Amino acid sequence: MYRFAHRLCGEAEAAKDLVQETFLNAYRGLDRFRGDAQISTWLYTIASRACLRMRRKRKGAPERELSLEEFIPTSDGEFRLQIPIDGLSPEAALHNKQLREALDTAIDQLPKKYKMVLVLRDMEGVSAKEVGTIMGLNERAVKSRLHRARLFVRRQLSARGLGEPLTDHNHTPVRERRTVSHGSR
Amino acid sequence: MAAGNTSKRKRPSVSTGRKQAHGKARCLRILRQLSAYIDDELSGNICQEIRRHLGTCPNCETFVTSLRQTVSLCRHSPSPTLSAASRTLMRKTILETTQAR
Repeated sequence: MYRFAHRLCGEAEAAKDLVQETFLNAYRGLDRFRGDAQISTWLYTIASRACLRMRRKRKGAPERELSLEEFIPTSDGEFRLQIPIDGLSPEAALHNKQLREALDTAIDQLPKKYKMVLVLRDMEGVSAKEVGTIMGLNERAVKSRLHRARLFVRRQLSARGLGEPLTDHNHTPVRERRTVSHGSR
Repeated sequence: MAAGNTSKRKRPSVSTGRKQAHGKARCLRILRQLSAYIDDELSGNICQEIRRHLGTCPNCETFVTSLRQTVSLCRHSPSPTLSAASRTLMRKTILETTQAR
């Protein structure tokens, strides 16, 4: 639950508050849990609602919608934006602090309702159907939000990477590091 | 003649341009379905059509690669962890709050 809360809130203290709020709400509503859904789905639902309530308390601004049109490339260059991971596996690429931070920032910039879908589906591995149950959406709406959220993160990541090779912890460009390691074999 | 020219002007955009206009429309149609494609949720026929298109369209090929990488990075993003001390403290707070009610 903390993992989910942290991914939604983006920082430790808010995540702890959310976990606490979730378990307290679960305790209060335990008699209403009939066992129709998995307990994890029920807890995710409580956490998602609590997160939206906490967000409303913090900021009053309405959430913006992501339209598919804003992600339609208008030039070859936009079509060809690349994530600068240079052939590395995702696990290896994520050793890079810059990329990790860029990913976290991109996810954090997503409007909450898109972020929730992306976190549940792509990070927590929850099925689209279950995400629908958690968020009170049909599967089609879940998939539509997920697609937009992914397009958003892709654009943020690739825009950050343009012209700036990633560096490892020692600030060595990844490309250079890989060349060196190939050469030393 | 003028009409012929007009139609010729239109037609060539069919031979060179048809590819472009048709390709572009197809690119956009495919772009809308890429998440479903990545998640293997499309029927065999549509998947085959997309694969065929990707084989001939470097723009879409690059696009799908970067979208796949994005999803993959999200899936492999390291899990935030809670220290044992924080976990104990949180459990204690929750228990105390529930018992106080």
